[in-house]
Amino acid sequence: MSLLLIVLLPLLGSLLPSLSSNQRRHQCALLTAAMPLIALLVTLRETPGVIAGEVPRLAFSWVPALGLDLALRLDGLSLLFVLLILGIGLLIILYARHYLSEADNMPRFYAYLMLFMTSMLGIVMADNLILLWMFWELTSLSSFLLIGFWSHQSAARKGARMALAVTGMGGLALLAGLILIGQIVGTFDMQTVLDSRDVILADPRYLPALLLILLGAFTKSAQFPFQFWLPQAMAAPTPVSAFLHSATMVKAGVFLLARLHPALAGSQEWLYLVSLTGLVTMLYGAYFALIKLDLKTILAYSTVSHLGLITMLFGLNSQMAVVAGLFHILNHATFKAALFMTAGIVDHECGTRDIRKLKGLWRYMPMTTALAAITAASMAGFPLLNGFLSKEMMLAETLETPLLGGLAWLIPVLATIGSILAAAYSLRYVRNTFFDGKPRELEKTPHEASFPMRLPVLVLAIVCIIIGLFPAFSATGILTTAADAALTMPAPELHLSIWHGFNLPLLMSAIALIGGFMVYVLRQHLFTFHRQFPSRNSLAIFEGAVQRLVRFTQWGIDTLENGSLQRYMLWVVISALAVSGMSLMGIETLKGELAVQKADPLLIVGAAITCFAGLATAFLHRRRLISLIMLSVVGLMASLAFARFSAPDLALTQLAVEVVTVILLMLALFFLPQKTPKESSASRIVRDVLLAAGFGGVVASLNYALLTRPLNSISDYFLEHSVSGGGGHNVVNVILVDFRGFDTLGEITVLCIAGIGIYKLLNRLRLFMPSSDSEGRPWSPDRYPMILASVSQSLLPMALLVSVFIFLRGHNAPGGGFIAGLVTAVALILMYIAHGVEWAQQRLSFQYQPIAVSGVAIATLTGVGSWAFGYPFLTSAFGHFHIPLIGDVELATAMLFDLGVYLTVVGATLMILANLGKVTTSHRPSKQKEKA
Amino acid sequence: MEALFATTTGILAASGLYLALRGRTFPVVVGLTLLSYAVNLFLFSTGGLTTDGAAVISDDASKYADPLPQALVLTAIVIGFAMTAFSVILAMRVRGDVGSDHVNGNRVDEPREDKS
Amino acid sequence: MLDFALKISVALFAIAIVLNLYRVAVGPSLPDRILALDTMYVNSIALIVLFGIWLGHRTYFEAALLIAMLGFVSTVAVCKYLLRGDIIE
Repeated sequence: MSLLLIVLLPLLGSLLPSLSSNQRRHQCALLTAAMPLIALLVTLRETPGVIAGEVPRLAFSWVPALGLDLALRLDGLSLLFVLLILGIGLLIILYARHYLSEADNMPRFYAYLMLFMTSMLGIVMADNLILLWMFWELTSLSSFLLIGFWSHQSAARKGARMALAVTGMGGLALLAGLILIGQIVGTFDMQTVLDSRDVILADPRYLPALLLILLGAFTKSAQFPFQFWLPQAMAAPTPVSAFLHSATMVKAGVFLLARLHPALAGSQEWLYLVSLTGLVTMLYGAYFALIKLDLKTILAYSTVSHLGLITMLFGLNSQMAVVAGLFHILNHATFKAALFMTAGIVDHECGTRDIRKLKGLWRYMPMTTALAAITAASMAGFPLLNGFLSKEMMLAETLETPLLGGLAWLIPVLATIGSILAAAYSLRYVRNTFFDGKPRELEKTPHEASFPMRLPVLVLAIVCIIIGLFPAFSATGILTTAADAALTMPAPELHLSIWHGFNLPLLMSAIALIGGFMVYVLRQHLFTFHRQFPSRNSLAIFEGAVQRLVRFTQWGIDTLENGSLQRYMLWVVISALAVSGMSLMGIETLKGELAVQKADPLLIVGAAITCFAGLATAFLHRRRLISLIMLSVVGLMASLAFARFSAPDLALTQLAVEVVTVILLMLALFFLPQKTPKESSASRIVRDVLLAAGFGGVVASLNYALLTRPLNSISDYFLEHSVSGGGGHNVVNVILVDFRGFDTLGEITVLCIAGIGIYKLLNRLRLFMPSSDSEGRPWSPDRYPMILASVSQSLLPMALLVSVFIFLRGHNAPGGGFIAGLVTAVALILMYIAHGVEWAQQRLSFQYQPIAVSGVAIATLTGVGSWAFGYPFLTSAFGHFHIPLIGDVELATAMLFDLGVYLTVVGATLMILANLGKVTTSHRPSKQKEKA
Repeated sequence: MEALFATTTGILAASGLYLALRGRTFPVVVGLTLLSYAVNLFLFSTGGLTTDGAAVISDDASKYADPLPQALVLTAIVIGFAMTAFSVILAMRVRGDVGSDHVNGNRVDEPREDKS
Repeated sequence: MLDFALKISVALFAIAIVLNLYRVAVGPSLPDRILALDTMYVNSIALIVLFGIWLGHRTYFEAALLIAMLGFVSTVAVCKYLLRGDIIE
């Protein structure tokens, strides 16, 4: 449980600062510090156990389907990082309290910082690959907020965006890599993965997985060629830089290398990819750290360089190198956090970080000068400080490596060159800032920073010295446990001490320090040399690339999605043709093995009429009403076809819908132009005709191929169980209301939604209404013809009776809710046609929306009702009842469901048509005509 | 008979598609309706073309038409109506708001007679 | 005998429907087309009834009944459109 506390307390802590106001800064900082402090104490309580070899673990199942568990562990590696994150995090909280100005929103800053801390702790303690990735992405997001904290500055916004883009993309690659690993191993559980090194290395998917994971780690840790985002992230407030770029964010990448080292390392690919990338990054960062002029940029490049060093160590496939890498992680975190804080102090007190303006600050801030000198000396690898120890271990390891075979001597030489540069830029950082004459052009007179602001630096400097002087006492224990976790076998015995006797690594260290001094003295030549190269602004390049990408995608969107329905249709049809055409080509013969039935003359006539009417609908489309009449012929013929092929339910539905559709289209046509203008070019018509012909051909071929092949239908089940299981003899209706009732429920819901959508679309619609028909004749003055009115009125009760009859018998004979609903709707619509909206509304004084909605509600409740009896949703029950006068009636709960269908169909249809009819009631142009 | 049926669905589908590719809303809606007739016939035919099949379960019935495609097509017909209604009223709304019945929403041209 | 009569009448009604379609297609005036459509409904009813007699199913008579009613409504709607433009007002 304490593991969960360590991760969750800072998360809780991200809420606490907001309790405090921006004015009460002490309170705010204290509130923020409380939670990490408790978490640190909890960790310290666990520490002895972990060092003794225990690995506390905790797991809750979270999303088992994704292999995601909320699983945490605290092994040595996690412990090292947790202590770093919490310890340095607390110092940063203290430092930020005095660094942030009155104008900055402190609670917001602390909230982001705590969120970041949580995600970082999550990464190092995750015991599940997917969980690790989740926290990994959370660091990308929260670091985006932190880097862009001064969101009023363009540089901060752009830097944050760049960091998010680079690390976010790396995160996606990492996810892909982790999923590959998960597939190779069969689980995302960390321990299983770490134990399956042989399986992973032997799998052909190892290389892609490795590449993807390394992409994630290298983008996060700013390895070459992804180093460019880190210097841009210096636009962040200095406490953020001190935290993110010393102990946390960038260390996540190298942490991942250490964490997966047992599972992935040991191969040639790992050796070359990781160590060479690290080496190149180390040299690249060191060189630019020497060249740059801004204090924080210098530190940023030195961070890049040190991360390269650590990466190289992890890549060497040597156990001692891993120990050295872990040791350097610890050391780098201490001295780099301190150095960033001194840079922040200088910036805070002098108002600039330009190394050309700053000089001789030791006069004003002796304490800060001393602290900066100590920590920079550690960075340079000066003896008696912690940086010296890990750097010497690194140099010793480079001598051992098999990398590059016969050219293996290159590695130690290049490592020494990197160390020379490190010594040089450390010297430059201290001497140019704090010594070397007097400051120039400073905006304000510098003075010593307040004690609380110096305190975190002091603490870290003391840590540097303690580890440097007493390494065996202070660091061996935790390093050994951490190395145990990062290695497949127990860590080699560690002899940390200041003095190993005269040996080659010591010589190399000496060369590095002396060489660094000489490079520093001769630095002007280097600067002159560097000036020959055109300067490259990575931010401009990145932003340019982003702009180009945006333009390209915009172009792509504009081309594909230009707002033209015709073009969309074209794409859809062409893809449909391609897909179905391909599959048609795949079959051997169009005709299948089934015998063809003989066509009788009546059928031929019917087919001819249908084809003719269909083609006429298309060719007469410019005269819209005639086209519509042709459409209704097609509908009628389709209905006859259904009747001919033994589907009376379909025939009735089709017929009713056909009538309703024609009424609907004519209602709409009144408000639309009566004729379509001739505007398609000849080539467009040829194209469309060809497309349509191709489409028709494919549909016909598909249909023929389907009809002549034997059928494997599940219908036999329905036929067998219709009476016994659904209590109805009309199988179609039983399928609708019982077997597949859930589909029908969805269907009527869609119908209801369509009706409501139309109701809203018609809201306050004012349309142009023609005052005469398409041939220029004025409308007839007789609004409601007498004969029509009387005939339709006598038809109404009959139609309603028919619909009730069709509804009731639907379960056992053709009919049912759909058809009955449509018949009722048509009968009521006839009233509207014959008498007008006002007349009908006086007599039908109810709204249709509630009817449609209550229909859906009844159907749903019928389904829910079966829960009450312990059956699944929509289970139907039926039984026989004797009703006086009517006789034996079979009643099923499906009937109630069908009632819901009926009400929905009636409600939705009338909602559509009656509302459409209402559009015109208020005013008619013909009235004006009468007046005129 | 099968070839005849298939040809008919093909021709209906082709006519519907040709209309759906037109530039004005009304022919497009008519085309979609035609297309949905074709699709319904097509889906219905997946159960085979049965002449004189019994519609309801009874003891003396010798053969039945496949009920499953029928149930599917029945709802498809009703949903097809809802879709037609929605698209045609969308077309009216566009004409009211944009003043044109072109499917691409071009603000055109057409002479608007007297506005009521 | 019944079979023979059925065949003859089916053939005649089929011809009638084809002729209706001709009228619907060529017009010339809109009322011509509407009248033809209405007649087509009537002829379809006849066809369905004949079909029902041939197969001996009751179901088809009910379908005929519905076609009669719905065909009437359809024709009324088109006529109203011709007269007033707006069907429901």
